[in-house]
Amino acid sequence: MLPAPPLCLPLSETRPVPAALGRLLRGLALCLVVVAGFVPAEPKLDRMQQLARERYGNAAEETVADWRRMMAEAQEADEVERLSRVNAFFNRRIAFEDDIVVWKQPDYWATPLETMGRAAGDCEDFAIAKYMSLRLLGIPAEKLRLIYVRARIGGPQSTLSQAHMVVGYFATPGGEPLVLDNLIGDVRPAARRTDLVPVFSFNSEGLWVGGAATSSADPTARLSRWRDVLERMRNEGLQ
Amino acid sequence: MSLIKQLWIAIILVAVFSLGGSLVVSTLAAKRYLEQQLTVKNLDNATSLALSLSQMDKDPVAVEMQIAAQFDAGHYRRILLTAPDGSEIAAREYSGADADVPGWFMRLIPIVTHPGVAQVQDGWRQFGTLTLESHSHYAYETLWRGTLQMLLWFAVGGLLTGLIGTLVIKLITRPLDRVVAQAEAIGGRRFITTPEPATREFRSVVRAMNALSERVRSMMAEESARLEQLRRQTQLDPLTGVFNREQFLKRLDAALEREDASAGGVLLILRVGHLVDLNRRLGRAGADALLAELAQRLRRHIGEHSDWTVGRLNGTDFALLAPAGDHPPALASAVALDLHGWLDSGGMHTLQALPVGACSYLAGEARGTVLARADGALAAAEQAGPRACEVATAAAPARLAQSEWRAALVQALAEDGVRLGHYPVVAASGALLHMEAPVRLRLDGEWRNAGYFMPWAARQDMTGAIDLAVLRSALAALAAGGEALGINLSPDTLGDAARRSELYSLLQQTPEQARRLWLELPAHGALRHAAEFRALCVALRPLGCRLGIDHVGADFERIAELHDMGLDYVKVDASIVRSIEADPGNQAILRGLCTLAHSIGLSVLASGVASEAERATLPALGIDGMTGPAIVWPTA
Repeated sequence: MLPAPPLCLPLSETRPVPAALGRLLRGLALCLVVVAGFVPAEPKLDRMQQLARERYGNAAEETVADWRRMMAEAQEADEVERLSRVNAFFNRRIAFEDDIVVWKQPDYWATPLETMGRAAGDCEDFAIAKYMSLRLLGIPAEKLRLIYVRARIGGPQSTLSQAHMVVGYFATPGGEPLVLDNLIGDVRPAARRTDLVPVFSFNSEGLWVGGAATSSADPTARLSRWRDVLERMRNEGLQ
Repeated sequence: MSLIKQLWIAIILVAVFSLGGSLVVSTLAAKRYLEQQLTVKNLDNATSLALSLSQMDKDPVAVEMQIAAQFDAGHYRRILLTAPDGSEIAAREYSGADADVPGWFMRLIPIVTHPGVAQVQDGWRQFGTLTLESHSHYAYETLWRGTLQMLLWFAVGGLLTGLIGTLVIKLITRPLDRVVAQAEAIGGRRFITTPEPATREFRSVVRAMNALSERVRSMMAEESARLEQLRRQTQLDPLTGVFNREQFLKRLDAALEREDASAGGVLLILRVGHLVDLNRRLGRAGADALLAELAQRLRRHIGEHSDWTVGRLNGTDFALLAPAGDHPPALASAVALDLHGWLDSGGMHTLQALPVGACSYLAGEARGTVLARADGALAAAEQAGPRACEVATAAAPARLAQSEWRAALVQALAEDGVRLGHYPVVAASGALLHMEAPVRLRLDGEWRNAGYFMPWAARQDMTGAIDLAVLRSALAALAAGGEALGINLSPDTLGDAARRSELYSLLQQTPEQARRLWLELPAHGALRHAAEFRALCVALRPLGCRLGIDHVGADFERIAELHDMGLDYVKVDASIVRSIEADPGNQAILRGLCTLAHSIGLSVLASGVASEAERATLPALGIDGMTGPAIVWPTA
């Protein structure tokens, strides 16, 4: 869906922003189509843990178990605290790696299980895993956005920029979001992220009002990588 | 239910299921496809509009213009931009005419689409939520037209299926009709054979039925040949092959009792003179050979009149009985000319004297009277010379001149109509089968038996008119609730197409009465018009009337032809019935005839039962019913 090389930092090379942005935007429309009907329900996390062992071995199972422990603890905390715990968990445990290295594909959208299984991923893998975790923790979809941003690299004066994806948390509808990014360890308000320029945001809110049941029979859903990810998540026990 | 109806139902079911099924499936598939396309369009357009809004300045006029441009240039029902707090920023809604699609159709097959929803950013802040809905009316129109086209094709396809089905059914059932016709014919005792159809299943059925018919035919041929042989052994003079005296006299009795067109006729007697002298000169064997050849010569005069009879009355006297023969001098001179010529030309000078005497007889005369009159003519011929030919004057002078008969008959029919006699025909079990109803006409101030006028009617070609009058009278009597009636038809009626069709239509108009009517024809007439008689049987069978032939028993050579007629009964001639209790030969013949007739489902009735002894003997031989002077019925 997103152009290769992946849109995330850190970068091995830089690309002109308009080209990268254009590809990003072209893919987006279809992404939105596929977010259809994703409503977090009671996850079958035992199955997810079992799959992690079968597919990726004991280390992966350990990661998933840790993730579940973190999630259980975060359940007790307030929303802002949950954000930083989830952000911290993935930023520490998952190594940044290009899709071409991890998945032998130019662009691949991994499920949280796959990301934890390989203990590696690129920016959208981080964003997806964080977004899913926060939704599992009960944060409503209207407060969350997956945001495409243009990231300026090489300091405040640099003209180099790169396509990137982060998760935004809107405490109030009209306010500025808190940004969960894999580039820096802690959650910061958007105003302090002068290196990022937001381009477009989306979530699953308002889509497929009819429910997931009708969309799963919809052949158009298979056209999308994002929808594919959601389906695979469901199969892995995360829904 | 008939096979054709079942085939039709199958065709209709297949057509409705296939065409109706494809209509439903294609309409639903089109509906699903349109829904998907509309929804994807909603989502994609919402996303791309939200993207361009996110990128631009959030000046209210610019935002409004952007949305208006998208709405006006596109095909949307609604575009709505709401702020995060739910308030409306910009909105456009379609307010044009609705699609030209019936409301019930939209309710029956609703096209359910989901609006596209996308988020609009203003920097890091949320600017609003964009909701976009495309028009679904053109989808309804597409769906409606497609459904109409499918329905049109359904109608055309249904029509085509019907046409093809009609052809196929016709093709299938064409041989079937013939198979059914043959089966029904066999059920009606008409053992016919038909050409084998091409359809394999039908072919084996027809083959089986043909084999059955063929077996019946050959069985009848064998049995009738055996009967004929038996008849020759018992009834014929062993030397000359003509009837012996006893059987000839019985034939004469029966002829005198006849009451149809063949009532009355000519009796001719010729005498071989000087037989003792002949024996001495030729030797016994030579004399026998001469007598045998003479008898053969005489038999040739029977010609096509199968009810004429030649008999040997004693060692020297031969007789020819010609029922319906109307001109004794002509017959006598024809016979005399032929025989005398033969004697002269064939070197038979040894036979000097061969006088011929002939006389006419009338129905109802006593046998002795007729024989005495013929003997008188013969004696006169002997007196006149060895090769003389004499004809006795008629018993009574003709009541009317030949030319006056016609007028008299027409007048009688017109003024008084016909009356029917009533003679019971009783089954061996004792039940009444029907009342035989011979015709009576008022002539010379008296009601006359058929024997009185029928020969004349035949000569005047009036039998058809009389037959139809009898039929009308019988149908009227049956309609009045009388017993079942049996009437006689004359061969002339059978041979006349106009009379036949009138007969059909009379019977068709009164099916109730037709079922209680027994129709019979003389055997010689039926066999002479075999094709017409067969057609008559086929035509009358559905009407339910019984058909039979009368005067069976003169010979059995052609009786096998009855196998495909579909008759109900045969009536044995009185000449065989006469003194049956004392005639083992005729008993054997009757027994054989009954076995043969019963094997193809025919009843056998005996006519002219005149004595209690005959009445007692007949049922044991297999006779199913009897009529005659000795048969009485209390109500008659």
